[in-house]
Amino acid sequence: MNNTLLSLTIAILFGIGTFLVLRRDILRIIIGLSVLSHAVNLLIVSTGAFAGTRVPIITEDGGHGASEATGTIFNDVLAENTLAPITAAGHTVNFVDPLVQALVLTAIVISLAVTAFILILAYRIYEEYGTTDINELRRLWG
Amino acid sequence: MDSFTAITLAVFLPFILAGILPVVEKLLKNRIGWYAAAVAFLSLVLVAQVAPTVIHGESIQGSITWIPSLGIDLSFYGDGLSVMFGIIVSTIGIIIMSYSNGYMSKREDLPRYYQQLLFFMGSMLGMVFSANLIQLFIFWELTSITSFMLIGYWRNRPMSVYGATKSLLITATGGLFMLAGFLVLHAITGTFDIPTILHSESMIEFIKGHELFLLALILIFIGAASKSAQGPFYVWLPNAMEAPTPVSAFLHSATMVKAGIYLVARIHPIFSGTDAWFILVSGVGIITMIMAGFLAFRQTDIKGILAYSTISQLAYLMTMYGYTTLHHPGIGVAAATFHLLNHATFKASLFLVAGIVAHETATRDITKMGGLRKEMPITFILATIGALAMAGIPPLNGFLSKEMFYEASYEMGHLLGGPFTYLIPALAVLGGVLTFAYSIKLIDGIFLGKRPSHGLPEHIHDPGWTMIVPTAFLAVLIILFGLVPSIPSHYIVQPAVESILLEPVDLHVQLWHGFTPALMMTIATFILGILIYTRYDSIAAWQNRFNSRHPMLSVNYLYDATVNNAKNVTFGFSSRMQPGNIKTYVIALLLLMIALFMIPVVFLTADIIPSTLNFDIPLYEGILFLFMIIAGLGAALLPRYVPAIISLSGLGYLVSLLFIYLSAPDLALTQILVETLSTIIFLLAIVKIPQKFREHVTPAVLTRDLLIASAVALTVFVLLINATQGIVAFESLSHYFIENSLPLAGGHNIVNVIIVDFRGYDTLGEISVLCLAAFGVYNLIHSRGEEE
Repeated sequence: MNNTLLSLTIAILFGIGTFLVLRRDILRIIIGLSVLSHAVNLLIVSTGAFAGTRVPIITEDGGHGASEATGTIFNDVLAENTLAPITAAGHTVNFVDPLVQALVLTAIVISLAVTAFILILAYRIYEEYGTTDINELRRLWG
Repeated sequence: MDSFTAITLAVFLPFILAGILPVVEKLLKNRIGWYAAAVAFLSLVLVAQVAPTVIHGESIQGSITWIPSLGIDLSFYGDGLSVMFGIIVSTIGIIIMSYSNGYMSKREDLPRYYQQLLFFMGSMLGMVFSANLIQLFIFWELTSITSFMLIGYWRNRPMSVYGATKSLLITATGGLFMLAGFLVLHAITGTFDIPTILHSESMIEFIKGHELFLLALILIFIGAASKSAQGPFYVWLPNAMEAPTPVSAFLHSATMVKAGIYLVARIHPIFSGTDAWFILVSGVGIITMIMAGFLAFRQTDIKGILAYSTISQLAYLMTMYGYTTLHHPGIGVAAATFHLLNHATFKASLFLVAGIVAHETATRDITKMGGLRKEMPITFILATIGALAMAGIPPLNGFLSKEMFYEASYEMGHLLGGPFTYLIPALAVLGGVLTFAYSIKLIDGIFLGKRPSHGLPEHIHDPGWTMIVPTAFLAVLIILFGLVPSIPSHYIVQPAVESILLEPVDLHVQLWHGFTPALMMTIATFILGILIYTRYDSIAAWQNRFNSRHPMLSVNYLYDATVNNAKNVTFGFSSRMQPGNIKTYVIALLLLMIALFMIPVVFLTADIIPSTLNFDIPLYEGILFLFMIIAGLGAALLPRYVPAIISLSGLGYLVSLLFIYLSAPDLALTQILVETLSTIIFLLAIVKIPQKFREHVTPAVLTRDLLIASAVALTVFVLLINATQGIVAFESLSHYFIENSLPLAGGHNIVNVIIVDFRGYDTLGEISVLCLAAFGVYNLIHSRGEEE
C-alpha cells in the first residue's frame, strides 16, 4: 500500500472531521465525530501495514510467524540500545501487526455505541429545546 | 495488652466508634453524648495503661509497615510528653462530651457534632503519639480539618463560615510550611523517625551545625505558630469562637491550639540551645503575650476575652520553651510544661462557665451583665476559682506555674546579662499584669456589681448537673494541683520534662518557697494589676478609638484584603478560563494537541517531510482515495442532513474497502456491519429532527475554522509520515501474540484470538460500554415518555 498517499488521505479526513466538529449544529458535530473516528481507525491500522505483509491469519502452509526462519514482522534490537527500523534489511515481513487491528476492532464497535448515544441525546435535546444550535442552547441553559 | 497495642487502640478506637454513631443514635436517641464520653474514657484508660512505663522514665515504641519505600511507617512513640498530652486530651474529652449533654439542644444534629468531636480527639491523640514526622503531619492536618468542621458547625451563620474558613486557611497553610520543614529535616538527617533523631546525640549535633538548620527551624516554627495562634497568625482564634462553647473549650483552649506548643516541645531537644531558637520562639512568644493580653481589654464578648487570653497564655508557654542558652538548654521547660497542664484545667473551666452563662442569659456580651452572683451562686464560685487561677492567686495551680514562669524569666535575664537582666523579667511581669486585669474583669463584669435593669432574662439560675459537674471537676483539679502540686508534678509533668530535656530531672514544686525574686515579681504583678484594672475601661475605650482611626493597622484587615482579593482574582481567572462556549474549549484542545505533536517532531526529526516519499500510485488505489475524500467532503458540505449522512455512510463503506487493502479482513467485516447499523440509527434520528437551523458561517469564522482544520490535517500528515518511517522506541508487543496464538490459544486468526482470549477482559469492557450506551439510549427515550 502506498503510504504517502494513504497518509495524505487520512490527514484530509482529519481536517474534514475537525472542520465539522467546529460547527454550531449538533448533527454536523456528530457527523464530524464519525469522520474523525474513521480517520483515527485508519491511522492506527495503517501503522501496522507494510508492503508485502499478509493477513494475520496463520495458515497450514507454513506461515508460522516468528518460529519460521524467514523472519519476523519486527526486528527490534533494543538490547543493543539502538533504534531499529521496523523491517530490518534482509528480513521479510510475514504478517500485518495484529495488535493494532484488535485495538481498532474494539474502537469501531465502541464508536457505534457512542454515536448511537449522542444521536439520541441530540434528538432529546431537540425535543426539549426545539433547536440544535449549541449557541442557542447555551443561551437557553443560561 | 502491650503498650503499643494500647496506644494504637487509643488513637483508632475514637474513629471507629465515631463511625457507628448514627447506629448508636437509634438506640440512645439524644443521650449519645454519654456514649461519646464513654469513648473518651476508653481512650483515657488505654493511655493510662502506658503511663506506668513512662513514669519510670522509659519510652515505648512500635510500628506497622506502611510505605517502606519512603521510610514511612505507621509508628507510635510514647514518652512523658506524649502521655501528658494524651491524658489531657482524653480527660478534657470526657468532660466536654459530658458537658455537651446539657449544653447542646436536642434539636441540634447531635451525631454530626459528637462524630466530629471524636474524630478530633482521635486525630489529636494520633498526633501526639506519632513517631513519624509524616504521620504527625497527617494527624496534624486532620485536627485542622475537624476544627474547621466544628467551628463551622452552625453552617447557616455567616460568621461561623467566616471563622471556619479563616482557621482552616491559616492553620492548614501553616501545616504546609511545617511539612516543608520536615522535608528539610529529612534532607539533613535522612529519616522521618522522631525517636531516631532524638536518641542520637551525634545526629542532633550534626543538625545544629548544618547550613539548613535555620531554614528547618523557621519552617517548622511557622507551622507551630499558626496552630497555636502566635504572632500574626493569632487572628484565626478569636473568630473560631463562633464554634459551640464546648468545642471552644476543648479545641481552642485546652488541646488543639496546644498542638503548636507540643511541636515546639517535641523538637526542643533538636533545636534548642541556639540563639535562633531563643530569638524566634521566645521573641514571638513575648510579643504575642503582651499584645494579646492588651487586646483582650477591648473585647466585650466573654468568649472573645477568653480567646485573647488563650493566645496570651499560649504565648507564655512559647516564651518559656524558648528560654535557652548554649549551656542551659531548657531553663523554662519545667515551668512551661506545668503551666501547660494548669492552663488546660483553668481555661477549659472558664470556657465551660462562659458556656453556662451564655446558655442561661442568652447573651455573651459582658457589658450587658453584672450581679449574677446571687442568681448563679455555684457558677460564680466555679468561675472565681478558674479566673483566680488564671490571675495567679495562691493557692491555686496558676499561681505555682506563674511563679515558675517568673523564676525562669529572672534566670534567663540574668544569664543573658546586660539590658536583658531587667528587660525579660519586666516583660514577664507586664504579661502577668495584663492577665491579672482581664481575669478580674471576667468575675467583676459578670457576677459582681449591679444587675443591669434590662437586657437579661428575668429568671436566671444555675444550670443542671450535667453542666455543673464537669466544670466543678475541673475546679477541683485546679485546687488540688495548687494545694498538692507533687501529684501532677511527679506523675505527669516530671516524665514530660524528662522526655523534653532527655535527662532525669527532679522536680519539686512547692506553694511556699521563701522570699525569692519570683515572689517579689508576683507581688508587683498584683499591685500593678489592681492599678491597671482601675483604668480598664478607659484603656478599652482608647483601643476602640485607635482601631476606628486606623482600621488598616490590623492583621485582620490584611487577611480580609488578601482573601477578598484572592476571591476576585480566582473568579476572574476562572471566568476567563471557563467561558462556557464549547467551541472555545475544542479550539484550545486542538491547538494544544497540535503543539504537543509538532514540537517534538520539529525538534527531534531531521527533515519534517522525509525525502523518501513515494508518490507512485496504482490506479485502483488512487480512485479509492479520491472517492474517500469526495465522500468526506460530501458529508461536510452537503447542506441537507440526509445527503450528508448518505455521503458519510459511503465514506464508511470505502473505509471498509480500504481495510481489505490493509490486510484486515476482520475489520472490514465489522466496519460493514457497524456502518450499516449506524446509518440506520442516523436516519432514524434525522427523521425526528427537522432541519430548522442552518448555520450562517461568516468569512472570518470560516477562515479560522479552515485554518485550524488545515493545521490539524498537516499535523496528522507530518506525524504519520514520520511514524511510518519505521522508528520504534519500544519493543513491540505483537511478537508475543503472533508466536503464541496457535500454541496457547489454538487459534489461527491472530486478531480474533487477541480479542476473545488474550485481551478478553478488554472485550468485556467493550461489551459493557455497549450495554451502558443501550441503557442510556433507553433511558433517554423513556424519560420523554414520563413527561408526556
